[in-house]
Amino acid sequence: MDASIKKIVARYPDEKSAIMPVMQHLQRENKNFLSEDAMDQAASVIGCSKSKVYGVATYYTMFNTQPVGKFHLQVDTCVPGFLHGADAVVEHLEKKLGIKAGETTKDGMFTLSRVQDLGSCATGPVIQVNDRYFENMTLAKTDALIEALKSGKEPENDPSMTVISKCGVLLNDRTQKDCRTIAFYKKNGGYQSLKKALTMKPADIIEEVKEAGVRGRGGAGFPAGMKWSFLPKNDSRPVYLICNADEGEPGTFKDRQIMEFNPHLVIEGIAISAHAINSKKAFIYIRGEFNWIADILDAAIEEAKKDGQLDNVDIVVHRGGGSYVCGDETAQIESLEGKRGNPRVKPPFPANSGLYGCPTVVNNVETLSSIPYIIQNGAAGYKKFGNPNNFGPKIFGVSGHVNKPGIFEYPMGTPLKEILEAAGGVKGKLKGVIVGGLSVAILTAQEAETLILDFDSCVKAGTALGSGGIMVVNDTVSIPELALRTIEFYHHESCGQCVPCREGSLVIEHKLHDLVHGKGKIEDIDLILHLTANIKGLTLCPTGEAFAVPIQAMVTKFRPEFEALVKR
Amino acid sequence: MSKTIIINGKECVFDGNKTVLQIARENGFYIPSLCYHEKLGPASKCRVCVVEVDGIRNLQTSCSTAATDGMKITTDSPRVLEAQRMVVNLLLANGNHNCMICEKNGDCELQDAAYHLGIELPAFVVEEHEDKDDSGAFIIRDGNKCIQCGRCIEACNRLVVNEVLDFGFRGGHTQVVCDGNKPMGDSSCVQCGECVQVCPVGALIEKKAVGKARSWEIQKVRTTCPYCGVGCQQELHLKGDQIVRVKGVEGAKPNDGHLCVKGRYGYDFIYSKERLTTPLIKKNGKFEEATWDEALDLVADKFKQIIKESGPDAIAGVSCARSTNEDSFYMQKLFRAAIGTNNIDHCART
Ligand SMILES: Cc1cc2nc3c(=O)[nH]c(=O)nc-3n(C[C@H](O)[C@H](O)[C@H](O)COP(=O)(O)O)c2cc1C
Ligand code: SF4
Ligand code: SF4
Ligand code: SF4
Ligand code: SF4
Ligand code: FES
Ligand code: FES
Repeated sequence: MDASIKKIVARYPDEKSAIMPVMQHLQRENKNFLSEDAMDQAASVIGCSKSKVYGVATYYTMFNTQPVGKFHLQVDTCVPGFLHGADAVVEHLEKKLGIKAGETTKDGMFTLSRVQDLGSCATGPVIQVNDRYFENMTLAKTDALIEALKSGKEPENDPSMTVISKCGVLLNDRTQKDCRTIAFYKKNGGYQSLKKALTMKPADIIEEVKEAGVRGRGGAGFPAGMKWSFLPKNDSRPVYLICNADEGEPGTFKDRQIMEFNPHLVIEGIAISAHAINSKKAFIYIRGEFNWIADILDAAIEEAKKDGQLDNVDIVVHRGGGSYVCGDETAQIESLEGKRGNPRVKPPFPANSGLYGCPTVVNNVETLSSIPYIIQNGAAGYKKFGNPNNFGPKIFGVSGHVNKPGIFEYPMGTPLKEILEAAGGVKGKLKGVIVGGLSVAILTAQEAETLILDFDSCVKAGTALGSGGIMVVNDTVSIPELALRTIEFYHHESCGQCVPCREGSLVIEHKLHDLVHGKGKIEDIDLILHLTANIKGLTLCPTGEAFAVPIQAMVTKFRPEFEALVKR
Repeated sequence: MSKTIIINGKECVFDGNKTVLQIARENGFYIPSLCYHEKLGPASKCRVCVVEVDGIRNLQTSCSTAATDGMKITTDSPRVLEAQRMVVNLLLANGNHNCMICEKNGDCELQDAAYHLGIELPAFVVEEHEDKDDSGAFIIRDGNKCIQCGRCIEACNRLVVNEVLDFGFRGGHTQVVCDGNKPMGDSSCVQCGECVQVCPVGALIEKKAVGKARSWEIQKVRTTCPYCGVGCQQELHLKGDQIVRVKGVEGAKPNDGHLCVKGRYGYDFIYSKERLTTPLIKKNGKFEEATWDEALDLVADKFKQIIKESGPDAIAGVSCARSTNEDSFYMQKLFRAAIGTNNIDHCART
């Protein structure tokens, strides 16, 4: 076994967990291609069957089991990309390179692919070239990118967008060049909370977090302190903490803002939380596409270790392989154990039997990043932001048809209107808003008028706050087309375990495709509603609901648009 | 202590830890199920076995729901049937299920579900067909009929531990693969057929049975495998006096449905013209047919003669691995007690 592979394997309590990092390493060493030999090598290193390795490699989109061009151009055409005009970029590239999406140029230089959400929603259209992002693309910039790649120059990325922090808790001043360094972080009071926390009893930290009422920012809004208190007492097994940095919900690009520019905040949050739940080993499960952010985290962890900050916990950054469902906590645990990212049946819940069958807590990046502030300022300080039962600062991401898309750290309970104004107002005439990432019900312009952005108010309004990824849709957009993009995402991402999700998403996609292309029938609309109604609550994991809800809302709220597509 | 659950108003008594599906089956209620197999346990994947449980909002998969005392279950409400119908329709929509020419016709769990739910034709059709894999010596794989229940994979990895099969790809593209997606015949598969044994549909079938008989023409005969001393229990599927296929007997000792490639597929020899049907005695350099009495007398005489001339240790016995424990016991008894030598061994040891 060569030394670099040995080093990868040594990071994990169980070598099976190394299967993805080992394959990522082998693929990188071999022109971005994971050959049969490489898979066989991975199987023998890990000690598992060939079919298991093949199953893992083909589950995740980022493993190339077929050779790809020197530059793999991956254009995000999911909903936010679609709203930002990504299709024009694809068409332009097809013409320019003389290939269709999914093909490679004859000289082996470029492979072009349409891909699903890349988590760059406000800075779309975005093209991922191998493992680098190029954001805010226009057709002219696309031309320049291709020329630069051809001539071997290092192209520049422009990730600019609006960034406003009203609370100043989670986002730092990213205009400062050294904003990522531990020196900058400590200059602004960083690691003081950890110091304080280490003098506190774990139970007291949990109490404080409970008192602050911080609700999980991963989408479900489950109270973090309560989740921690579910861990079994007097148990001899090790406890694991997983920081969920998968950020896969279309419209969501908030966690990366913390990790990329303020990495020590999430690291401090993890260290404090690990102390609170008596965990000695924590993982940051970051989506594989955010490779450069994972590097930033790795570097920051090294810095923190050298500075003596991480004596109580070992933090491992684990890169995913391209899968939305791996954002689900049980799928994430499976994936971290080196398997296909299939969600587990609950119960048992991770608190009792999670990673390697041990007690495990999974929390979102933003949730964990709130912990240092709570320790420093007490629950009372945290509760200055927001409304009862919905406290704290929240990062909202706004993409789609606004004049200044970007990222907004505002108190929970801020009216949607205020956020949209901060984002430069709606471009054109508002048709609908999706406020919580793609899996929540769309609101009509009228419904959106008075919406308050917190967990409870959104539920009352018939939608959900979810991840706080706000997508604004103006009247140039056809809702059936939006629905088609939506179902294409979920069908592409379905893990394929259970029938209602795997086959249901396929049939809905076909029917919406027919409708959008003028081949649909009125019965198709009713069939879609029949399917969405029955799929809700019938699937093994919440993904079924994650598409049934938005599709049902789009069809019922904008039904005349669907009917108008049926030729009489 | 016995516990009771109520299924569709009927009190059902049970002992120990059981699932709702197990109790329903014991009490004669049909609940469609596809991914669950008694031997493999619940997988909770197909979602067709859902029922209403009093006090729980969502429908619950009966295969994985542990029964608790006093639980009230409904298996036949419109809501349950609508969900079950949708699941079966979805499976039919994206496969190629032409029961008329399918080997599984009449013995298929998907067909049973469709029948009980009154689905005449799939309500919607999406066609994406793939090729069959008939590269295996004895097994044909037909992905168009596969419902991705995973039973074969669990069986191959967990029961027979041959670790050939797994799921490859994802979502709608999910399919069962052998090794790194090789044709079965080029893979490390040993053709034990355990995957075929547990497949609920016609996605894995016995090559030798194709076109031989419809399920209702078949007579099932239980027997013991003649190949080795394990004594696996077999169920022969016969049409007339011809074997169409061989299944392992589920729930029976010692094999609980497993068979090896010989036991499951190596039955042609019984129809071989070259098969010996009488003892043969070599006379003048040529084998001639003889009766058992002649043959046994000859052997006994020769044994006696050898013992007289050279002592009993001039004789040795090797017992056949195909014999049962009892036969092997008699064999050593014969050599030790009757012939008087310890020269006795067994072919599987040599
Ligand atoms: C399909 C699916 C995708 C999810 N994706 C994410 C994700 O990208 N990031 C995340 O933090 N939580 C995601 N979740 C929620 C997690 O399962 C889990 O609830 C969350 O990480 C818990 O953290 P929190 O309590 O701090 O919110 C997802 C859930 C599902 C069902
Ligand atoms: S609903 Fe089922 S198929 Fe869909 S992602 Fe969840 S487990 Fe997989
Ligand atoms: S697998 Fe079952 S449902 Fe499908 S064609 Fe064969 S008998 Fe019919
Ligand atoms: S025949 Fe046996 S070894 Fe081959 S795939 Fe099936 S279960 Fe596995
Ligand atoms: S081949 Fe049969 S047992 Fe295997 S997944 Fe498909 S339907 Fe299930
Ligand atoms: S039999 Fe219960 S979910 Fe498949
Ligand atoms: S199988 Fe008959 S002697 Fe071994």
